[in-house]
Amino acid sequence: MLRNHAFTSATLLALGALGCEQAPPPRFHANMLQMVANETSDGYQQEIANVLGAMFGTPDEPFAFPESGLNQNLLNLAAGSAYADEQGVSHGLYRRHCVHCHGISGDGQGPTARFLNPYPRDYRQGLFKFKSTYNPAKPTNDDLLRVLKNGVPGTSMPSFSLLSETELDALVEYVKYLAMRGEMEQKLIQYVYDELGEEEVEGEDGQIVIERTPLDPTANAEQADVIKELLGEVVAAWQEAGDNVITPVDEAIPADDRTPEEIAASIEKGRELFAGTRANCFTCHGPTALGDGQTTDFDNWTKEQKGFLDATVQLRESIAEREKSGELTDDERAQLERDRQLLAQREQVAASFYPIRNAIPRNLRKGVYRGGRRRIDVFARIHAGIPGTPMPGAGAAAPGGQGTLTEEEIWNLVDYVLSLPYEPASGPQPALTANPEAIVN
Amino acid sequence: MNCLRSSWLSASFALAAIAVTTSSVSAAGWGTVKGRFVYKGTAKPEKITPTKDVEFCGKHDLVDETVAVGKEGGLQNVFVYLYTARGKKVDVHESYAAGSEAKVLDNKGCRFEPHAMTLWTEQPLEIRNSDEGVGHNTNGQLLVQNPKFNEQVTSGSPITKKFSKSEPIPTKVACNVHPWMSAFVLIRDNPYMAVSGEDGSFVIENVPAGKQDFVFWHEAKGNLKDLAVGKGKADRKGQVSLEVKDGETLDLGEIAVTSAVLGK
Repeated sequence: MLRNHAFTSATLLALGALGCEQAPPPRFHANMLQMVANETSDGYQQEIANVLGAMFGTPDEPFAFPESGLNQNLLNLAAGSAYADEQGVSHGLYRRHCVHCHGISGDGQGPTARFLNPYPRDYRQGLFKFKSTYNPAKPTNDDLLRVLKNGVPGTSMPSFSLLSETELDALVEYVKYLAMRGEMEQKLIQYVYDELGEEEVEGEDGQIVIERTPLDPTANAEQADVIKELLGEVVAAWQEAGDNVITPVDEAIPADDRTPEEIAASIEKGRELFAGTRANCFTCHGPTALGDGQTTDFDNWTKEQKGFLDATVQLRESIAEREKSGELTDDERAQLERDRQLLAQREQVAASFYPIRNAIPRNLRKGVYRGGRRRIDVFARIHAGIPGTPMPGAGAAAPGGQGTLTEEEIWNLVDYVLSLPYEPASGPQPALTANPEAIVN
Repeated sequence: MNCLRSSWLSASFALAAIAVTTSSVSAAGWGTVKGRFVYKGTAKPEKITPTKDVEFCGKHDLVDETVAVGKEGGLQNVFVYLYTARGKKVDVHESYAAGSEAKVLDNKGCRFEPHAMTLWTEQPLEIRNSDEGVGHNTNGQLLVQNPKFNEQVTSGSPITKKFSKSEPIPTKVACNVHPWMSAFVLIRDNPYMAVSGEDGSFVIENVPAGKQDFVFWHEAKGNLKDLAVGKGKADRKGQVSLEVKDGETLDLGEIAVTSAVLGK
C-alpha cells in the first residue's frame, strides 16, 4: 500500500511537471497466480495477453468475439469510463457501480475488496454460487439479474434495483464477458503449458539457446483452430445454462393451502433429515444450525490461493535446505538459481493475496439468505449445493438423475430451514433428540 | 457476423472429420511398459486424529497417505500415463474392450478406497459409502475438463458418474465433512495409465508401438520433474519419452524417487 502511495504521488508530481495529461487507459491484469503456478514465461505471458486482447478487447473498448454470443451494444454501455451523455444516458456502468469491489478484470480485487467480508466474487473461474441450475452448470441471465436486483443479503453486495432494465442487462452481459475472458485466460495458460513450451537446447557452438514455439494464432493456423475450440468450450457452457435449470416436479411441491398441522409435520420431517446422516446438514451447520459444525474448510477461490501459498513455502524450505548443504554440482547450482527466481515470482504473487479466511457454513437461525429467501431459492441451494463451496448437493446431479434425497424430502428441509429463525435458539432443542449419537461425535 | 459464425462452425466440423480418420488407423504393433518405484527417503506417515465422527473414524487407525511406502521401499500411488497432444486420439488395443465395467471409489473407514485410481472414460465411476450411519460427501470441484460435482453419498445408494474428457492431471477428490479424506482420480480418454501398487510396481500393457511420451505424477509434488527414468530424466512437465517396441516389454527397472523429487 505504501509503495502505491509513493507511486501515486510521484506520478502526480510528474504530471504536474508535464502539465495536464490523461492517465493511461486501464488494462486488464493477468492472472498471475495461474501464470506463475504454471511457470508461464514472460514471453508467453505477453502472447497470452495479445490473444486475449484480440478476442476480448480492452476495458475501454470491449470486443464481443462473434462466437462468444455476447451483445456488443450492451458491452459498450457497461464498459469504458463512467459518464452521462447529453440525453442523460449513463455509460461506463461497470466502472460506476462495480469496479471498486470486483476490480477492472473482474478478479474481485478492486480497491475496497480487502476491507470486505466476504471478499467480492472473482468472476474469472466462471463459477457462480447463487443460481437455479444444476451444480456444474452456469447461471442463467435471470439468475445474474436476480443477484443484481436483490443484492446478496448478509454481504457487501447491494441491490441495484434502481437501475433500468437495459442497464442491468448491460451489467449482466459484462459480468459474463469478464467471466468468459477469465476462463479463456486459464485455458490459454493450460494450453501453453501442455502443448507449447520453451526448451534450453545446446546450439552448434555449444551455446545454450532457448527454443520456443510462440503462441501466435495469426501465424499458426493450428493454434487458431485450438483457440476457437477452447472458446467454443467456454461459450457452450454459458449457452447451455438454460437447459440446466432445476425444475421441481409438480407432485412434490407442497400445496399452497396446507393446514398448520401439515406444515408442522413437514417441518418435523425436515428436522429429522437435518440431524440425520443421509442429508448430513448438522455436520457443517451444527446441531443447532448456528453454522458452527465445520469452520475450518475453505471455498475454491481460497483453496487455489492456499495451495499456491503452501507450494511457495515448500519451495522456500527446499531452497534453504539446499543452500545449507553446500556441496552442489553445477547442475544443482543452476537449478537452485532458477528456483530462487521462481520463488521471487511466487512471493510477489503471494503478497497480493488478502488474508486467507475460512468458509463458514451459514447460521440458519438468522433468517438471512445470501442466495435469496424464496422457497425455490432455498430448494435450489439444497438440491444443487453451492458451487465453489463445501456445500454438496442432495438432489439429482443432472436432469433425469437420482438424488440422495427425494424432492419431497428437500421440500421438508426447506420448511424446516425457513422455520429455524422463528424457533427459540435457547430452551428445548428438539434437533438434539433426533440423532443424539451422531451429534455428540 | 452470420458469415463469420458459419465459417467457424465449418472449421470445427472439418476438425472432427480428421479426428475420426486418424483413430481408424491401427497402430504398428503393441508393447508393454513396466517398472517399480522405490522411495529413497524416510516416510513417517503421520497419524490422523479425526475431528468429526470421532467414535467411528477413531477406530480405523487413520494415517496421512500423501507419501505411502509399501513393501521393500516401494512407492505407492505414483501415476504413470500416456501423454497425448490435444485432439489426438490413441489406438486402443482390443484387450481393453472388455474393461468397461464401473470402477469403484468407496468412502470406507473414513478414508477413500482406493486412495489413487485411474478411470478410462469408457468406464463409469461408482461412488459408494460403506460407512453405515456416517455421512460423506464426495467433492470433485477441481475437475478441469469435465463437469465439476459435489454430492452427498448415502450408504446403500451409490452414485454413478460418467466422464467424457481427459483431465490433464489426476484430480483431487475430497470429503468436506472429514477434511483429512482425499483421493486422486486420473480420468483419461484412453486406458494407457497406471498407479503404482503396494510394492511400487506398475505395468501398462498393449501400448501402441513407437516413441511415446509418458507423464510421471505424484500427489506430494505434482509432475515429477527431474525423475531419472531409464537413461532419461523427466522434463519440467514430468514427461519422459520412451521407445515402445512391438511385442516387447520395456522394463524400466527400479525407478528411484528421491525426497528432492517429491519436494520433501
